[in-house]
Amino acid sequence: MLTRLLVVLAVLGALASPAVATTVDETDIDIKTREVAKTLRCTVCQTENVWESGSPFARQVRENIRERVEQGQSAEEIRAYFLSRYGDYILMQPPARGVNWLVWIGPFAVLIVGGFLLYRTLNRWVTSTPAAPQTVEPLDEASRRRIERELHS
Amino acid sequence: MTRGWQIALVVGLLGLLALFYQGLWGNPRLIPTVLIGTAAPNFTGPQVGSSEPLSLDQFRGKVVLLNFWASWCQECRLEHSNLLALNERFRQDPNFVMLGINYQDKEEDAQQYLRTFGTNFPHVRDIKGAVSFDYGVYGVPETFVVDQQGVIRCKTIGPIIGQVYANYTQKILPALIAGSADTVKC
Amino acid sequence: MIIELGHFAVVTALVLSLLGIAAPILGLWTKNADWIRVGRQSVTLIFVLLGLGIAALEYSYLTRDFSVAYVASTSNSKLPLFYTIAALWGGHEGSLLLWVFILSAFSTVAVWLHWRTQPTIMPYLIAVESSVMFGFLMLIVFLSSPFERIFPAPIEGKDLNPLLQDPAMTMHPPMLYMGYVGFSIPFAFAMAALFSGRLGEEWIKVTQRWTIFAWLCLTVGIMMGGYWAYYELGWGGYWGWDPVENASFMPWLVGTAFLHSVMVQEKRKMFKVWNLFLIIVTFSLSLIGTFLVRSGVLTSVHTFATDPERGLYILIFLAVVMGTAFGTLIARAQKLKSRVELDSIVSRESVFMFNNLFFLVAAATVFLGTLYPLMIETWKGSKVTVGPPYYNAVFMPIALGLLFLMGVGPYIAWRKASLDNIKKNFLIPLIVALGTTALAFALGFRSPFTIAGAFVVGFVTTTIATDIGKVSAFFARRDRVNYLRGFVSAFRNNQRRYAGTVTHIGVLVFVVGVIASTVYQTEKVVSLHTGDEFTMGPYRLTLAEIHDVQGPNWTAKEGRFELYRGDRLLTEMRPQKRIYDASQTPTTESAIYAINMGHVFLTMPEVSPDGTATARGVINPLILWVWGGGGIMGLGVLLNMFRPRKRDE
Repeated sequence: MLTRLLVVLAVLGALASPAVATTVDETDIDIKTREVAKTLRCTVCQTENVWESGSPFARQVRENIRERVEQGQSAEEIRAYFLSRYGDYILMQPPARGVNWLVWIGPFAVLIVGGFLLYRTLNRWVTSTPAAPQTVEPLDEASRRRIERELHS
Repeated sequence: MTRGWQIALVVGLLGLLALFYQGLWGNPRLIPTVLIGTAAPNFTGPQVGSSEPLSLDQFRGKVVLLNFWASWCQECRLEHSNLLALNERFRQDPNFVMLGINYQDKEEDAQQYLRTFGTNFPHVRDIKGAVSFDYGVYGVPETFVVDQQGVIRCKTIGPIIGQVYANYTQKILPALIAGSADTVKC
Repeated sequence: MIIELGHFAVVTALVLSLLGIAAPILGLWTKNADWIRVGRQSVTLIFVLLGLGIAALEYSYLTRDFSVAYVASTSNSKLPLFYTIAALWGGHEGSLLLWVFILSAFSTVAVWLHWRTQPTIMPYLIAVESSVMFGFLMLIVFLSSPFERIFPAPIEGKDLNPLLQDPAMTMHPPMLYMGYVGFSIPFAFAMAALFSGRLGEEWIKVTQRWTIFAWLCLTVGIMMGGYWAYYELGWGGYWGWDPVENASFMPWLVGTAFLHSVMVQEKRKMFKVWNLFLIIVTFSLSLIGTFLVRSGVLTSVHTFATDPERGLYILIFLAVVMGTAFGTLIARAQKLKSRVELDSIVSRESVFMFNNLFFLVAAATVFLGTLYPLMIETWKGSKVTVGPPYYNAVFMPIALGLLFLMGVGPYIAWRKASLDNIKKNFLIPLIVALGTTALAFALGFRSPFTIAGAFVVGFVTTTIATDIGKVSAFFARRDRVNYLRGFVSAFRNNQRRYAGTVTHIGVLVFVVGVIASTVYQTEKVVSLHTGDEFTMGPYRLTLAEIHDVQGPNWTAKEGRFELYRGDRLLTEMRPQKRIYDASQTPTTESAIYAINMGHVFLTMPEVSPDGTATARGVINPLILWVWGGGGIMGLGVLLNMFRPRKRDE
């Protein structure tokens, strides 16, 4: 009798308590860890960063970054540490120093030089093209509009 | 097409093909180390199968061969007997010690591995990977040699077998144990 | 038995390809058309034989014949039918066979289609296509045969890579190969022009048709790859600047430059040699792409098993093709040079040239970025990574420059644009562009890409809209109908131009989608128990339960999430963490919900035994504009290809 009463009370108790939905969110440490992790390359993956990758190496690096963030290290300090251990490869882009300026400035240099050379070539062509005859009869509206359209298609 | 552009085109093509040819013989997964000539970072950690912690500083003044391995690593098995033989050969010299570092592994698996394949040197467990990060390790097996001044002189990626093993036995270890300051070719 | 027949068919095709090279040359030498006919039969027969080879391989797949090594390594008995068929191109050997099969199909179509109308090109077309087929077939027969047997035959095959078990992924390689192969036809035409010393009017028209078809296939192929990466790889992105992604992008860039530059040749008969150069570069890049994927030179998501011997062969093949093509160009260019008549730098010809410059610099940038790690390693022995941050910084400005040119080119006059013409067409767009830039700034956007993008998008949208408006008004007035009917008349009157406009609109939509979904993507990663919830922007996600799901060849843990906006339940989302039975490979299957032309993207990368799930939510604003833009680009091409031909075409 007593056990049955206890069971009924327990069931009523469970039904009566409101469903508690816990709202979870990212902490500042989560966010900072992600920011740093996105800038380090997963060395055993193909051009993935340590945040994206699912490999065990990436996971350990993320945990290591998290510990350092918790200890209060700045993003620069954490990156500098990994850089000192793994070399430039661990960054997601070539650091802008030394010979690497070739790859950073190269495209723009080629664009500018190419643009200049192209401009010079175009100029050369324009000056070597005989000028069109100057005497031109005035056109009527319909013809003018039709010519405009042809030129624009 | 002017002569200048023609020459540029030919030179460019030849350069490209040469670069591709070079690339065929490289290993895109190999990352050269930046730590040669730098001080070997100290570490302290629990041992595999023992409660006593072990740290690198205990061995300052000796030549230390540091080998990173894991029970799930196939290539590590290839080199294991060679490592034991190396240790047998050089451990009489008080200036030499061999240490293993167990990487990304479970304690039971590591112990099982050592029971199966045997061991004659101590192994430290790198639980969170901190040691491996300090040494720029990204896979196993990787082996470092630290000289008597505590400077990293050599790093080998991959198993110590064949020509690499011969190199260790005949050139690298004897030279460093004798205190040589010349560059060692790893 | 069947597989040996297939092997025999492919070996015969290899022998025939030699005939396909020799016969046309003999025909030219003896001036006997019968030899050219022999060449045509060879090409056709090669297509049939390769078809048989593929059929034999598919037969082995369908009968689960695991004594064939390739079949055993790319399938197993539980693999669903659809993927079993597609597994043929799931590995290196089979995908090469598919490549050369598509090449033989296109060659056969080209030879029969142009037989009567292009007699001068025909022998060279046959010889060049046969040469390329020879090269690939040598590789397949001697170094990469899918027909090898394995003794003893395994009872069960390994499996098709689970990442490839996906509809978009099965269509991606065939589409891509159709693009690469499609460019071989204009390439063969170009070689024909160089070898024969003649480049006539007809050349332009056939080249353009094949080019635009190849461009369509390549564009769709690349988009499919991006779309697959987006929902299968689970990081909410669609382009990683991975070396092999880049290898498909480079021929696209130069191919697009070629496509545009050829229009100048058509209109003004200029830049003939330049266009020959462009198509040789385009096709060379297709072959270089093949080299990079299969040689082990670069590591990538896509690389097939690496083998220096294969790599060396492909490199030699590459050297022979490029050497012959560029060498012939250098030697024969003088014969085909055209006179350049340019009245002003301010003209459409000029804009086309700058278009080419930007496209080539873009291709060179991608090339440099892809090969830079290799260069540094060879030169200095150290390694660097050239990843997305580099490309985003360097490539975006060039892309925006191109986009700007896209708004100028179609609306500036040929030969010489008067100041009046400039003012009429570009003054208002420039003012609008300044307005959209100010608006973007006022709305709080600060990223330089967004600000620059706002300017360019404002400018180009206005030039396009103004043109459509003007011409629709003209036809509406002329035919006395409403604007919409006016536009339809305008469209029909110059379908080629307006199909191009549609494609350009697609590009615009695409770029806006890319900027929005890249720069303004937001992400959140949390750990949850059942019943917990998290918010992401205006949305709320609750984890209702985690349960097990069984598939045909996989098992998964599936999380049932509820997506709310405010109090309204929008949908359920069910991301999975799958394990494929055969290979025990895990994959993350994403759940996607489209809203406001963007996506809410959810994956569940981890589920711990105690019921804690890691959920990763991403909001990708305007991502549907990325796929939609690609679709509109394709629509434009279809409208171009299937236009009613006018009498003079």
